[in-house]
Amino acid sequence: MFALLSAGMADAQAFTRDTPSQRGRDKGQYIPNIVLTPDGCEVWAADDGAEGYASNRLTRKGTPICHEVNTCGVVNSDQFFATDSYRIHAQGKARLREFFKSSPAFAYAIVGHTDSRASHEYNQRLSYNRANAVAKVAQAVGAKIADVRGMGETAPVASNRTREGMARNRRVEILCFQ
Amino acid sequence: MKIVKLCAALSLGFVVAACDEGVRGYPADKTVDRGINTHSLKTLKWGIFVDPDGCDHWISDDGVEGYQVNRLDRYGKPVCSGVAPPTYTAGDFKGGSPIADPN
Repeated sequence: MFALLSAGMADAQAFTRDTPSQRGRDKGQYIPNIVLTPDGCEVWAADDGAEGYASNRLTRKGTPICHEVNTCGVVNSDQFFATDSYRIHAQGKARLREFFKSSPAFAYAIVGHTDSRASHEYNQRLSYNRANAVAKVAQAVGAKIADVRGMGETAPVASNRTREGMARNRRVEILCFQ
Repeated sequence: MKIVKLCAALSLGFVVAACDEGVRGYPADKTVDRGINTHSLKTLKWGIFVDPDGCDHWISDDGVEGYQVNRLDRYGKPVCSGVAPPTYTAGDFKGGSPIADPN
């Protein structure tokens, strides 16, 4: 076990802060700009003379830092689904059709969410089924669906300790990509 | 496009003042594109490059510099929108620089 560990370490590249690359006028310091992509997400970008460098600015959880988030529609689950159901009633379908027909977006991702009641597995399944139901309506009117997923209770937008918060968490998000 | 590149390209036999920065190296502040059409990187013109897997990347050709980052949705998942076939691009991502660019 110990041998395995030390072998891995031996292969790792050692970085020192005094190589020819740190001896220029900038002393190896790169202060990047924060640039927004057209989606409104932050990017680190640095111009080093004749080279450009860039990478996504991420939180330590791995999610990008975005401003005008490209959520272009939030389906309030209570208005479209009965409790524990993923069937959309006729009136709800009509509203969704109207939305997708009038939206200028090129493609969509549909992301389902629940509140924190019931098990994690159940919520994953229910949120995915609800997202799929919305995606089917969208596809029926020619909308391009790039992704469908269920996040269950993992991405709340409000506290699950209040009724109002839970109601806000029960939702299907429509992410729009121009 | 950088003055230092232009200096080299023209092979001028005398010192042009603006070449100085390129010769001495660039400062730690890398937030701007210096030289011809000096501008903040905040004004980069982005387009989409679709990788061979079919997923989108933001791409910008700023003259001599190129930039590319993953197109992610707000949960951090790659966006694979199908806006162009794999290996193709969409959008005027070379539109931010007046420098003639063979590619």
